Amino acid sequence: MSRKIVDLAGKRLSLSNLEKDLYPSYGFTKAHILEYYRLISKFILPHLKDRAVTLTRYPEGVGKGFFFEKRCPSHRPEWAKTAEVRGDRGERRTACLVNDLKTLMWVENLAALELHVPLARAGSPEIPDSMVFDLDPGYPADILDCARVALILRDLLSGLQLTGCVKTSGKKGLHIFVPLNRKGTSFEDTRKFSKAVAEIMQKTYPDLVTSKMAKEYRKAKVFINWSQNDSSKTMICVYSLRAQEKPMVSFPLAWKELEKLAAQKDPGKLQVIHSEAVRRAEREGDLFQEVLKKKQKLPHL
Amino acid sequence: MAVQGIWSGTVSFGLVAIPVRLVTAVDPGRVTFHLLHNKDYSPLRRRMFCPREGTTVPPDEISRGYEIVADQYVVMTDEELESVSPERSRTIEIVEFIDMKEVDPIYYDHPYYLVPLKGGEKAYRLLVEAMHRTHKAGLAKFVLGEREYFVAVKSTNGVLALITLHYREEILPDKDLLPKEVETGADEKSHMKKRIKDMMADFDPERYADKRRKKIMDILKKKAKEKTPVQAPEVEEEEGAGPADLVAALRESMRKVKKKR
Repeated sequence: MSRKIVDLAGKRLSLSNLEKDLYPSYGFTKAHILEYYRLISKFILPHLKDRAVTLTRYPEGVGKGFFFEKRCPSHRPEWAKTAEVRGDRGERRTACLVNDLKTLMWVENLAALELHVPLARAGSPEIPDSMVFDLDPGYPADILDCARVALILRDLLSGLQLTGCVKTSGKKGLHIFVPLNRKGTSFEDTRKFSKAVAEIMQKTYPDLVTSKMAKEYRKAKVFINWSQNDSSKTMICVYSLRAQEKPMVSFPLAWKELEKLAAQKDPGKLQVIHSEAVRRAEREGDLFQEVLKKKQKLPHL
Repeated sequence: MAVQGIWSGTVSFGLVAIPVRLVTAVDPGRVTFHLLHNKDYSPLRRRMFCPREGTTVPPDEISRGYEIVADQYVVMTDEELESVSPERSRTIEIVEFIDMKEVDPIYYDHPYYLVPLKGGEKAYRLLVEAMHRTHKAGLAKFVLGEREYFVAVKSTNGVLALITLHYREEILPDKDLLPKEVETGADEKSHMKKRIKDMMADFDPERYADKRRKKIMDILKKKAKEKTPVQAPEVEEEEGAGPADLVAALRESMRKVKKKR
């Protein structure tokens, strides 16, 4: 096994197997992955900060086996920050907090291609700082249908004076985050609210939308998964790579851009690959920063 | 009852090609029951449950794992499974004809009928008759769904039947089941033969019936007559949930959205 010792902020980190191709049909090695996360770090780190991350590790690369690591591996370096969190049945676990570049490099060295985070920070696990709508297309519905649904949702929410931010899932769907960033909102609130939204969407657009999880309802429709609004659920972190054939990124889009792309009817344009992600983030800044900052209250609850 | 076609294509061998439709030949006759919640008779639904998280697992979070040893799995993706599936085919290509008597019924898996489609009636009839006269059956490979089946095409009561056969490796070894060889006398052998002979009859399946099924159906008919069946409640499926104010505000906003579009 090849090793390389790097020095990061005064800490020595041993990186292994850098030449291992983890996206074999595209050609993207561990070294490329580390480089991607290094370049995107200033954008992704604020979104990872203080969240109990779930590492989705692909030690043999995409298409091979993977495993979820909700616990921070016990072989972690002594400087790695952790948080004690509770699972949904009350069991305690020690989770990793990826708060800085060296921790990000360490988890990526473990081939944690995908980083999933809860909607709440570890210190206040029952207080979501955003409400999410996870739009998941049931074949043959596709990401363009998700875009249609997302644009309707934007307008529907704006009628209630709420602003949302949209990102690609990096796979087939889109995610809308409605920033809250206030202590008074609970997961019960976001669940109730998002469910009511999903249901009126289904009622108004029954051929396009379903609010039901069961597979038989999801064919050819966009499933608005409101049930992600739960303290035990995680979402793919914005700017995380996805373990797909190609190293696509869960990437934020400006609403105007989504409108434009939806009108072009080219589903491929709604996928953002690693290099484009870095380029666009550098040029446009963090289009998801409102998610961390904007304070909004859910009305009529 | 209208028989539903499962597949259509052609039976072929040499230069003969007969368009056919495949229909199932047996209805296993099991009385099926729906599982209901006995509090209000709501039909129940199966869900995949993760005991570790204590939650229902959505389909996109489910993978297939092949257990190597206890608790250790090799994960297989849909793509990998698809890559080994045979290509869909529209033909049942008979590769050889055999004597059906040589096929031990232990190889029989599932019976179907082949029904002639337009333009195939004459060749179909000729094949049925020839196979009937000669007691021959055609062996073929046949792709249905994700699998390639090994099948026998034979004539049964004037129609073609297709029987999927087990592959050799699916048949469990029987040599361990054999009792040890013991000496048997000639009179013992003839005695056994005679007993069988005394009980000989023609095969008449009409004389046998699934009594349990009949009894169950009788009870159900009687109960349906005597009592109105229980009614499953309207599945509101959490509908109408949500605070009234919120629902009203959403409706109002939605009205504007629709107007704009």
